[in-house]
Amino acid sequence: MNKSGIALATFVAMALLTQTAVAQQDRKVSIRFAAVIGDQPFTCGNSYEGIGTTASKVTPSDFRFYVSGVELIDAAGKAVPVKLDQDERWQHRDVALLDFENRTGPCLTGTQETRDIVAGTVPAGTYRGLRFTLGVPFELNHADATIAPSPLNLTSLFWNWQAGYKFLRVDLSTKGRPQDIKPGDMPRFGDRAASNRLGFAIHLGSTMCAAEGTNKAPANCGNPNRPTIEFSSFDPEKDVVLADLKSVLEGVDVDTNQAESPAGCMSTPTDGDCNPLLRNFGLVFAGQPAQQKFFRVKK
Amino acid sequence: MRRAAALILAAALGAATAALAAPDAAWTWRLPAWLPPPVVPADNPMSEAKVDLGRRLFYDKRLSADGSMSCASCHEQARAFSDGRRTPSGVTGESHPRNSMSLANVAYLPVLTWANPLLTRLEHQALIPIFGESPVEMGMVGREDELFARLASDPAYPPRFRAAFPETGGRIDLASITRALAAFQRTLVSADSPYDRYRYGGQADAISPAAKRGEALFFSERLECFHCHGGVHLTDNLVHSRKPFAEYAFHNTGLHDRDGKGAYPPDNTGLVEHTGRPEDMGRFRTPSLRNVELTAPYMHDGSIATLEEAIAHYAAGGRRRSPLTSEFLPGFMLSAEETQDLIAFLRALTDRRFVEDPRFADPWQDAVPR
Repeated sequence: MNKSGIALATFVAMALLTQTAVAQQDRKVSIRFAAVIGDQPFTCGNSYEGIGTTASKVTPSDFRFYVSGVELIDAAGKAVPVKLDQDERWQHRDVALLDFENRTGPCLTGTQETRDIVAGTVPAGTYRGLRFTLGVPFELNHADATIAPSPLNLTSLFWNWQAGYKFLRVDLSTKGRPQDIKPGDMPRFGDRAASNRLGFAIHLGSTMCAAEGTNKAPANCGNPNRPTIEFSSFDPEKDVVLADLKSVLEGVDVDTNQAESPAGCMSTPTDGDCNPLLRNFGLVFAGQPAQQKFFRVKK
Repeated sequence: MRRAAALILAAALGAATAALAAPDAAWTWRLPAWLPPPVVPADNPMSEAKVDLGRRLFYDKRLSADGSMSCASCHEQARAFSDGRRTPSGVTGESHPRNSMSLANVAYLPVLTWANPLLTRLEHQALIPIFGESPVEMGMVGREDELFARLASDPAYPPRFRAAFPETGGRIDLASITRALAAFQRTLVSADSPYDRYRYGGQADAISPAAKRGEALFFSERLECFHCHGGVHLTDNLVHSRKPFAEYAFHNTGLHDRDGKGAYPPDNTGLVEHTGRPEDMGRFRTPSLRNVELTAPYMHDGSIATLEEAIAHYAAGGRRRSPLTSEFLPGFMLSAEETQDLIAFLRALTDRRFVEDPRFADPWQDAVPR
């Protein structure tokens, strides 16, 4: 080996060492989430009482949401992105799906598999806070759903009418709006009352995405509906992010549906059923202020 | 035999290198010379094999949750691929707020549905009837794996998917299903009405004297019909391969005014749903008037039953005029004879060959039981 060859080999070896050293400094993190209704865990088929303004009894049939832009906040207050494991199942680029339904009982549109963590790596360090966005980032939200990779290829989370995804999907059968439509029901043509049997759906997603009014791909959305959630105190080793359906439905009447509006709240800006629901997700609605009530940290 | 040859050709092309495997080269549009071919997306070139597959899928009730509906349930060939209902219902019985649109010449539309400027590709639109939930149409939401399994288990399908999508080995997935459906729908070209033969084909006697008088009325400043229903497909929404600039337009035709300011029913507000601009309230995309005799009832909500009523609606300048009603609805006086002339013109737009063309008919009729 000549001199330059040795130099090159040394350089390559050093580069490899450096890379290994960096890799050793990375730290695996697994941020835990849980779906709850007040102080009870969510389970497909279970019913929960005391929900909303009517203290309704509800039976959820879905509980899934996407998070993106997950960051840990270090001791100096700096937000550090979590590099998500690209598992080709639950996580793609910086989006992760959290899925608490298992397709049993009334959870007809879901999947058997469940997921309660966001897994990735961060540089070694001390982290004391957490920040993330509820939703799919704009660019991925408006890409071609017919060829999207997992977890962006689940038809039950498609929201093609709005050219995007449902960021969150929780469907409820409630005391006042029992959900008794099932796939496989025989068609009853002309049954205009059928939409009253759809229960109370909570579908969060971007709306008014044709702000420019053209036939081009959307450049922005009038209502992105992507709340950013931040917890100044969060220990990624021990703490759990609770997604609480009872809290997010505070002040909401789940037993009635505004006439001529989608069942429940499908993020429609003119649907009174979304107020204060969208505000409880941390979104300004009808010009009224937001107070995020969906997520909290369990120490 | 010809289909077999086409399949073999498609398969041979698929086996060639990627650069040569452009099935579009094997596709010939059978169009009159005066009609430019539609635009085909680069990622979904046409082929005989793909169109054949798409036609089978279009007529296959296994695309719905309970096997009761296919695309053709709301898009019947005999009605120029509309359904004759005021508004249709899905597999759960839930009513759709909108009238089923004719699919004739859908390949020439830059914006596909009544009021959604985001829906510009048939490949994406197909997901809505199959998987949509508000309203439920075919009800397959969350059951895509079941759909793929249903299709894979029918011996009719895997070879057809392989012939149509050699680049993926015939994978049965959302991409292949929606692309095949789109390719079939792009072939639904209607351009052989008596009016076409008269206007473009040089046959002076192809339409009646009454239809000719009706044509003059239709294209008059007095009636203003042509302002929105102009161009080769009688709509101001048009794109094709010799027209690089897509035109699209949405109009408020004075159907509703709930609050004196032009409000439409909240489940059917039109373009404003996607733009948020107050002036877009009640604006819906202009449908083509081709085969209009066969596509009743009319309007986005199916609220006008006959051609006579539609003409009376426009003569009145709208049923419920509001500040948002289009300026192209000035209202007009029309005698009974003139009304009949106008209807004669509209009936001259009926393309019998299109609604009887065996290439667009149900391919399963003499095949396997469904």
